[in-house]
This record gives sequence, C-alpha cells and structure tokens, in this order.
Amino acid sequence: MPQYQQHASWKLEGGGQIMDLETAVKDGILGGGGGGGGLLPGKDATLVPVAEKPNLRNMIEELYSEVEDVPSVFICPISLEPMVDPVTLITGQTYERANILKWFSMGHLTCPTTMQELWDDAVTPNRTLCQLINAWFSQRYLQMKKRSENVQGRATELIQTLKKAKGQARVQALKELHKIVVAHAPVNTSVVDFAGVTLLSSLLGPFTSHAVGSEVIAIIVNLTLDSDTKANLMQPAKISLVVDLLNEGTIDTKINCTRLIEMLMWERSFRSEVVSSLSLLVALLRLVKDKRHPNGVAAGLSLLKDIGSHEQVRSLMVSIGAVPQLAELLSNSKWELKFIQPALQILDDLSTIPDGLLALKDCHQIIPTAVRLLMHASEACTHHALSILWAVCKLALDECAFLAVEAGLAAKLLLVLQSGCNPEMKQRAAELLKLCSHNYSPTVFISKCKLTRTMQ
Amino acid sequence: MRSMLSLSIVSMGSFCSRQQPLNEVDAEENIQAAEIDRRIAQETKAEQHIHKLLLLGAGESGKSTIFKQIRLLFQTGFDEVELKSYASVIHANVYQTIKILYDGAKELAQNDPSSSKYVVCTENKDIGEKLSEIGSKMDYPYLTKEIAKEITTLWNDPAIQETYSHGNKLQVPDCAQYFMENLERFSEATYVPTKEDVLHARVRTTGVVEIQFSPVGESRKSGEVYRLYDVGGQRNERRKWIHLFEGVTSVIFCAAISEYDQLLFEDETKNRMMETKELFEWVLKQSCFEKSSFMLFLNKFDIFEKKIQKVPLNVCEWFKDYQPVGSGRQEVEHAYEFVKKKYEELYFQNSKPDRVDRAFKIYRTTVLDQKLIKKTFKLVDETLRRRNLIEAGLL
Repeated sequence: MPQYQQHASWKLEGGGQIMDLETAVKDGILGGGGGGGGLLPGKDATLVPVAEKPNLRNMIEELYSEVEDVPSVFICPISLEPMVDPVTLITGQTYERANILKWFSMGHLTCPTTMQELWDDAVTPNRTLCQLINAWFSQRYLQMKKRSENVQGRATELIQTLKKAKGQARVQALKELHKIVVAHAPVNTSVVDFAGVTLLSSLLGPFTSHAVGSEVIAIIVNLTLDSDTKANLMQPAKISLVVDLLNEGTIDTKINCTRLIEMLMWERSFRSEVVSSLSLLVALLRLVKDKRHPNGVAAGLSLLKDIGSHEQVRSLMVSIGAVPQLAELLSNSKWELKFIQPALQILDDLSTIPDGLLALKDCHQIIPTAVRLLMHASEACTHHALSILWAVCKLALDECAFLAVEAGLAAKLLLVLQSGCNPEMKQRAAELLKLCSHNYSPTVFISKCKLTRTMQ
Repeated sequence: MRSMLSLSIVSMGSFCSRQQPLNEVDAEENIQAAEIDRRIAQETKAEQHIHKLLLLGAGESGKSTIFKQIRLLFQTGFDEVELKSYASVIHANVYQTIKILYDGAKELAQNDPSSSKYVVCTENKDIGEKLSEIGSKMDYPYLTKEIAKEITTLWNDPAIQETYSHGNKLQVPDCAQYFMENLERFSEATYVPTKEDVLHARVRTTGVVEIQFSPVGESRKSGEVYRLYDVGGQRNERRKWIHLFEGVTSVIFCAAISEYDQLLFEDETKNRMMETKELFEWVLKQSCFEKSSFMLFLNKFDIFEKKIQKVPLNVCEWFKDYQPVGSGRQEVEHAYEFVKKKYEELYFQNSKPDRVDRAFKIYRTTVLDQKLIKKTFKLVDETLRRRNLIEAGLL
C-alpha cells in the first residue's frame, strides 16, 4: 500500500487548526448536513439543509484538480479516491462501500489492508467519517467558489479600467487581466463576460500598438467567443493587426495569433478571403522555419494545414515557396509525427493545383522523402505520401519514376499492398507500382523490390 | 561623411605648406592621423544611433506633406517668418490652379464640340483669358481682393465646375477646392498662412531635404533619433543617386491611392498608378535596400473614399480584375482592401526569398490629417524600436 503522509491536523484558512473535534463541531466549523443519514446540529442548533451545495460526489469532482491535501483517512484504500459512502468492516478498516462489496463479490472474504480472514462480511456505515468528509469538502468548495467570485469581480474591475485607461495604464491592466484569465480559464472560461469581450475586441484596430494588441489577443484566445464576436474579429482591419503581430511578435504572441485564427476558421461565417493574405502566409512559413521553437512550428503547421484545405488559397501558398520549405522540413528525419503529418497533408493539398504540382516536381528532395515516409509513421502519412508520389509520377513519369524507384519506392509499395490499409490506397499503390515498372526490365525491377536493411 | 572629408583635407592642406625636419614631420603626421581616426570613430558611432528614413514615391504622392507634418509634430514647427514666406507660394498655387482649370475647359470644349458644358459663359471669358495670361508668367502679382473676386466668379462658372469634376484628365492639383474656398482669406493684405495652408501648399521638391528629430513619447527616455530625407518625386535619373541611401533603416514609400484615374505630369500618356507601381517594383529590387524595413503609406485615402463612389477601380489597368460589391462604406473598404492586396502581392513578387525577413507594413494615411499622422508615426516608431531590440537579441 502506498504510504500517505499523515496529517496531524486539518489546516484551515487563516492558519487555524482543528485539534479538538468536539469544539470544532460546536463552533460549526465542520458544518452540518451530508449524506448517510443523521445530521449534525448546525451553529444555532438547527439542521443545516444540504440543498444549497451540490452533492458530495459533484463537489469532489469539481475540486479534483484544486485540492492536493486530502487527508489520508478520507481515502479508500482500494480505489485511492476520497470516499463518498464509507463503511467499516469488523476488522475496523474503512472502505468505500461499492469497492468493498465488489471485492466480496469476487469471492474474497478478507480485509484487503490487513489480509485477515473475515468471519462476518457485515459492513457498517461509518457515519462519523462521512460527516467529516462532507464538511471538509464543503468548506473547500465554498472557499473555491468565493475565490472564483473574487476573480470574476477583479476581471470586471479591470474591464472597467480598460474603458478609460490609455497608454501604459492600459497595457498594465491588460497584463493583469491576462494573468487572471490564464490562471482560471481552464476551469472557468467565462471569467470575462460578454461586455468585456466586446470591449477587448474593440481595442483592436488599425492604430493599436503592439503592446496592447499582443495582450488583448493573449486574453481572447483563452475565452469562449460567440459568433458575433468572431464575425467582428474577421474584419479586414483587425485581421491585418493579427497578421502584423504574427510577423513581429514574440513566439508566444505568434502562437496566440495562430490559435485565434484557427478559432475563427471554425466559424460558419468564415470565408477564405480572410486568410488569403500573402503577409499571413509568409509569416506562417517563417514560423515553421524557426527550428528553435518547436511549439511554434507545430502551431504554424496546424494553421497552414487548415488554410490549405481551402482551394482558393492554395496558389498563394505555392507562390511564396511553401513547397520547397515544407519539403526541407520533412527531409529532416528528426521531426515527430505531429509535425510530419500536417506537413504532408499540406503538400498533398497543394499537389491538387498545377502550380503546386510543378513546384513539387521541381523540388528534388520531395521524392526520396515521400518514399521514406511511406509506411513509416501513420496511415494518414502513408496516404498523403502516396498521393503526392502518384501525382508527381503521373505528371513527369520518366524522371520522377526513376528517382522514386532508386529511392526504394517499389519495396515500400509492396509493403502497402500487404498491409491493412484501406482498399483505395492499395489500388493506388498497385497503379503506381505498375506505372513505375514501365521503364525497367522485369528482373531489374524485381531486384528493386527487395527490402534493403536500411529501408527496414 | 562630408564633414570628415573636409576635416582631413583642411589638415592635409595646412600640413603640406609647412617646412619641417623629417622625423618631426612623421610624429606630427601620426598625431593628426590619430586625431582624424578618433573623430571618424566618434562620428560613425553617433551616426549609428540615428535611424535614417527615406521618403520615396512618385510626384504628388504626399512625401513633402509628411515632411512638413513631422516638422510640425516633432520640431518647433514653422515660425512666423517661414509662414509668411509661404504666402507667395500659395498665391502662385492659386494662379496655377485657375489657369489649369480655364485652359482645361477650353481643351475639353475643343475635344467635344457638340456639347456646351465646357464652354465658359461670355462674361467670364475675359476674366479667364486675363488669369490664364497671368498664370503663364514666371512672377505672379499679389493676390488682391479684386483678383480674388474675379477668380471666385470664374470658379463658380458651371463650365469650370464641370471641368473640375473631370479633373483627372488634366493636371488639377488635389487641393484645388481648398484653395478656391479660402480665397477671401488669402487675399487679405495682412495674410499670414496658417499651418494648414502651409500643408496644402505645393512646391515641387528639387534635390534632397533632411530633418533630424526625436519623437518624444510617453516615456521620454526612449527618444530615438530619426533623420528623415525627402527627395523629389518626378522622373529623373534616380538610379544614379539612389545608392547614396544605402543602409537606411527604413524606406517610407508613399503611394497616393486616389490617383488611379489620373495621368502623369511629366508624361500625359501614362497613368499615375501604373507609374507608382513601376517605381515601387524598381525600389524593391534595389540591393541597397536589402536590409531596410519598408513602410508603405497608402495615401490620400480621403480623396479615394469620395472618388471610388463615382469612378470604378477598373479604369486602372492594374486593377482591371476588380469586382465591386455594392456601395457606400462597404464598397470603400472592399476597394481599399483590394488595392492593399495588390501592393502586397507586388511586394512579395519582387522581394527575393532571402529578403523575406525584412519588415513590411502597410499604413492607410491621409497626410493632411495631423492627428492621423501622429498616430501612424507612433506605430512606425514602435515597429522600428522593436526591430532594434529583436536584432540586438533582447526580445
């Protein structure tokens, strides 16, 4: 059994400790109410109703990430989770009712902790412990709720300040709001209410300074935005600002900008004109090129992948040299799947337009790289790599087929055919194999199909 | 550079005329050389902290107006003497404008003999001839109340108004209306031009002018020093002198987006927007600006706003694939975004891949609006300062 740290006492806010349970109960610190029958009297000898708080299970769930110091006596030795309905065996050990009954139902008639054999499988509800667990969690819950209200109050205050503040004061208020939102957003994405979001959005415009713009965006990406706000943010002037920040900001600002644009792209009213901006695409390519910041590369690739799914923007992407750059990224074998897959998907999408296909053909690294990535990482990767190879070989059979086969394409295609990939892919692989075998005599080609040690 | 050269020439000159024994000559030579080196090092160091900005653009794109605005914003502005000196310039502009309009009306009437909308009514013909005569001279008389009245009468003639609304085919300056509306003030005997008058005044820039300034923002400590250069915009042998500006921190390229339907002053067969496009392409290709940031000011937005309602963008060849979306505010914004995208495209087409790291930003401006220029410049300043920090590895 894992050793829990024994807490000598429960700690209360303000540094107090409960040493004496009786006094604590009388003082009402350990409040009333709770499940399992029997109610402790409250402060003024009335029975405290439970209706205001959610039941114990819900509280425990909500508090799950916030509390780390749950006293060990509250924890069920079987599940290692706080007990909601503690029951005691004749050995004196306490377990969660459901867990110990399950233990018994599996045919064991022993006490799990002490290993003693039980002559009686009676389970007695441990009401005392139940009350204590309830009280402890209730207190923590109320504290959390209060803190959260404080946070919301502070956020509202800051929004009010922002209505009037200018210059440095504005930047400071935004920085503080950013801190609050980041600390609480995972739990409560409505820290800033609708009016606040509208105000923040209105701070973005053609004359917004970099300092203000980067903070506002850092805040907004952590909130849930409704359709109107998103539509508002898609105005050209605001998008221009986001693109500028993406070009000039710190790595965190750049990542926030990509996240914001991704959020907007999921909106129904999104149109591809919003992202058909050369400056945006150039900025993203620059982000992807920056090897010092892999999280930036991932963010850039993710957004480029989303953008590449819109046909109209593809020729713009090709015109700024996306193809050679992505090919270069892929040829470096140190990148993991989460980088390879989006990059391949982008190239696959770009191969559907003539300019893109031409760029792929002219890029000498792409063929050996694509061959290497077949059956290498994931089925999706294989699908894209295969699609690219097929398109390129169809375009310029002689030169490309030769390069591909020399790089070991034939063997890889055979692997695809033998694998559990979907029939469409196998069909394509078979076609490609046939296509590439044209210029070779049968014996030579068969030798090319052998899996060499390096390819394995 | 000039001052350093002069220093060494002076010292060389005085040196050669002295008669001294050889080893003493050597010693003195060394001391002087060391002094010169020290001065060079000092000045180079000082120069490095000065951000040099170069204003480029076709003629009448607003470069000189920006220049004046910077003076008004960050220097002591124009003093009484200088303001007064602009009075004759403004009067000259008035005469030039009315002459262009009157001659223009005659030309348009000739080209279209069937219609009479460009025919000035008989009472005003004499005024017109007289003013045209005045305008063709080198020296202009002072703008008196009588002449001002005559000009106003001629301006109000329907033919002249009609000519003005078709001003794109002629070389009518953009501020024609401003001049005509303020004639009474201009013709006062004690007329001293206001700052706004000076901003509107048109003098063709020849040669190079420069000012040095320090934008003082909220945090007074961070005052960077800028030096702004303004060169003339008309076609001339640009390629000969442009490399003198190698290594400027930033090129501020001004493009007047309202001129998509106007013709060049130097060459009335050429569309102004096409000229600007070619100039921009040329500037982008210059290797001397490899490391400079590019700030593109899409200027004269206020005129663009009004014009777009009447004249579609497609009259300019470069914008022939433009599709209007409607009217009003939406159309203006849509048209503006279209022009902006075209310039962006042009920029990336003409920037080699290794220059992709250079900063490129587009600003929408109306250079006559002081508040707007102040805000715009604040952004330019922030961008350049951040750039500095990034390059120094501090960001």
